[in-house]
Amino acid sequence: MPRPGILRDWFLIRRDLPQSRALLLTAVSFLMPLALWCVVSYVPWIWHPDVRIEISAEREGVTTVFTAGDHVSKGFFPEFVRAVRDENAAVTKARSEGTAVTGARRKNQKILRQIAPVAVGNGWIDYRDTQNDAALYQTWRDLATGAKVSSEPRLTEENLGIIRANWAALSALSPEFVFRKLPDEPLLKLVPQGRPANPVYLPEPDDVLRTGFRDFTASAPEGELTMLQRYGASLRVIFLGFFWACLIGIPLGILCGVFDFFSKLIEPFVDFFRYMPAPTFSTLLVAVLLAGEAPKVALVFIGTVFQMVLVISKTTRLLDPSLLEAAQTLGAKPRQLLKSVVIPGILPNLYNDLRILLGWAWTWLVIAELIGVKSGLTEFIETQGRFRNFDRVFPVIILIGVTGFVMDQVLSWLHGLLFPWSGKSSALSRSIAAAFTWPFRTGARAIRNRLAAVEAARIAATREPSP
Amino acid sequence: MSTLELPSYLDQTPEVAARFSRLRERPVALEVRGLTKRFETPRGVVTALDDVSFSVHKRELMCVIGPSGCGKSTLVRILAGLETPTSGEVLVGGTAVSGPGPDCGMVFQGYTLFPWLSVKENVMFGPKMAGKSSFTAESEAREWIDLVGLSRFENAYPHQLSGGMKQRVAIARALANQPRVLFMDEPFGALDAQTRCNMQSYLLEIWKNVDITIVFITHDLDEAVYLSDRILVLDANPGRVREIVEVPVPRPRSESQLFDPSFMATRKHIDELMHPPGQEQKDTPVMRLAVSNPDVV
Ligand SMILES: Nc1ncnc2c1ncn2[C@@H]1O[C@H](COP(=O)(O)OP(=O)(O)OP(=O)(O)O)[C@@H](O)[C@H]1O
Ligand SMILES: [Mg+2]
Repeated sequence: MPRPGILRDWFLIRRDLPQSRALLLTAVSFLMPLALWCVVSYVPWIWHPDVRIEISAEREGVTTVFTAGDHVSKGFFPEFVRAVRDENAAVTKARSEGTAVTGARRKNQKILRQIAPVAVGNGWIDYRDTQNDAALYQTWRDLATGAKVSSEPRLTEENLGIIRANWAALSALSPEFVFRKLPDEPLLKLVPQGRPANPVYLPEPDDVLRTGFRDFTASAPEGELTMLQRYGASLRVIFLGFFWACLIGIPLGILCGVFDFFSKLIEPFVDFFRYMPAPTFSTLLVAVLLAGEAPKVALVFIGTVFQMVLVISKTTRLLDPSLLEAAQTLGAKPRQLLKSVVIPGILPNLYNDLRILLGWAWTWLVIAELIGVKSGLTEFIETQGRFRNFDRVFPVIILIGVTGFVMDQVLSWLHGLLFPWSGKSSALSRSIAAAFTWPFRTGARAIRNRLAAVEAARIAATREPSP
Repeated sequence: MSTLELPSYLDQTPEVAARFSRLRERPVALEVRGLTKRFETPRGVVTALDDVSFSVHKRELMCVIGPSGCGKSTLVRILAGLETPTSGEVLVGGTAVSGPGPDCGMVFQGYTLFPWLSVKENVMFGPKMAGKSSFTAESEAREWIDLVGLSRFENAYPHQLSGGMKQRVAIARALANQPRVLFMDEPFGALDAQTRCNMQSYLLEIWKNVDITIVFITHDLDEAVYLSDRILVLDANPGRVREIVEVPVPRPRSESQLFDPSFMATRKHIDELMHPPGQEQKDTPVMRLAVSNPDVV
């Protein structure tokens, strides 16, 4: 029986898929988790164990205060609503009996501010203006008269009724906000509204996008860095640490791989040292290098350099020894062997090693930024995480992931470009490489031709007198 | 074949005899005296070569043949200075070999082109190591590449070449260094029969045009007889010189000579040297499979 088409086309043992299919699968591998996140976030009957409060209310004699955006459990929310309704009923009853308490201006101001999340949600006021009573007063008027209709969130009939009743009381005293002209008797409270939500640690995608955009475009508060500056600081630490590691690690690694002398002298200690986790040195580093960037760079350096020496010495030893023998039979001296065979021979593998090590350096970065004076992106994650603002944490985590991934992809693509002889580069990257290097190659060829002409003239000059 | 009446391999036509006497008069390019090599292994001492002595004259093409594991590679590696003998000495052009160097060229069985260099740059490697300028090295390299017929590929990288082409580049690379002796360790061993045939003709062609002494390792009888002036037959365990055979086939050689009586006689003689009659049966492991009789009714 022939294998059905889908099996034949997509599932082949140890065989590469055609490029278009491979590309499609790559896209799917990213879309799948994203889709899962969206489904869990946006399909209301999946999970959603919490209620996110959209309109909150303060209750009499209860100290716990919920504000809009807080999460409460599904079981507790109806209780909360009922309690507020009971309070409203009491107010109405007292009013009709003529026994209403007075001196409720301060409380009424708070009730007035209950509408703030609605005004922000609809974009009527800025999110920093939640205490702008004059603007909120207008919002009450507009909602009561029907001049504005809230869509985010949609108000219940019950709450619209309350708004109209309250506005009647308010407008009777003043069309504008004046504290002293607020009613002396208590107003009705808006009944809490909310919608099903997942726990705070799983914010919705659009939330993450929006807060991410806001955080990264916002100007920084006094004395703090903007997100982009933080990002820059993090990149600086990782690149400085990695740069120093390369500066020390690559030559040492190659020496160890080439000369048994250095291998036996250096590698045992390096092998021992790398088992001591780099973070354990953090306090020491801060004591020696003081606060600031230096101990962080040093931590990335320590975390990377020991691995680097070992990995590179191994790569060097893997170079085909028959290439060295061939070079020797062609007359290469030890120094020439090192320069003309060992180094060019290991370069592509060395490059790949560095790519992997750079990935590890990102892990060290996160720890490095927490030592001494916290800094960079990690400090932001720490602070916001402590306030449970996970919608602000997620964009930063994703940013770090994307940076690492994109960098690695670019580097891997460059591999084909830098080492066309390893036969792994695609035609496209080869042609781009050819275009890039064209000016250099042309220049080099011109110089070579010039030298050749000089040499040819010299040879001709030495030959001439002989016949 | 046994029914066929073959002449003795010792019968040489006057021209061939004259050729050999001329050859013997030439100076000695490579002299090997009492070469012994022992390997210390965990399971005891292995004697790979035992008191091997012979000499190769200038411009001669000598093949070394022997069964697998008889020490051919060990021998050629010592000759090229890549390994040190336990005792004995190797003289190239009268001076003792103490390590690998440009005097002794080598073509290996595996492909040892530098993958990061183009064909041209590979061939330029030796001259550049010798301190020649890029210009001189390049123009020299062009000539050698031309000689092995790969001018169209001078800018290709090794991974873009076929096996036969790679070995041709390796030959050009070794020759560009103008060594006194060129050692070749089963250079065509990994090639298919057709390509190998072509490469043998190529090699003879190159050898005709270039002033070079070649020591060629092989385990292929036809290849040995087809290529060489003389054939050194090695014994196995330990590696000893069994006999040095003068090949009576006249030059220039061509594939049609494969069925000449002199060719076949030489071939038969060497075959008998390598597999003495009677011993063959003992050496060959026989595999017995327990198979039940087929059900034939
Ligand atoms: N480095 C080594 N250490 C120990 N024994 C070795 C070493 N190199 C070679 N030998 C032994 O020396 C003997 C000769 O090996 P060699 O490779 O020279 O054989 P060969 O004639 O080239 O065989 P083949 O035709 O299979 O290439 C073998 O028995 C082998 O086991
Ligand atoms: Mg061998």
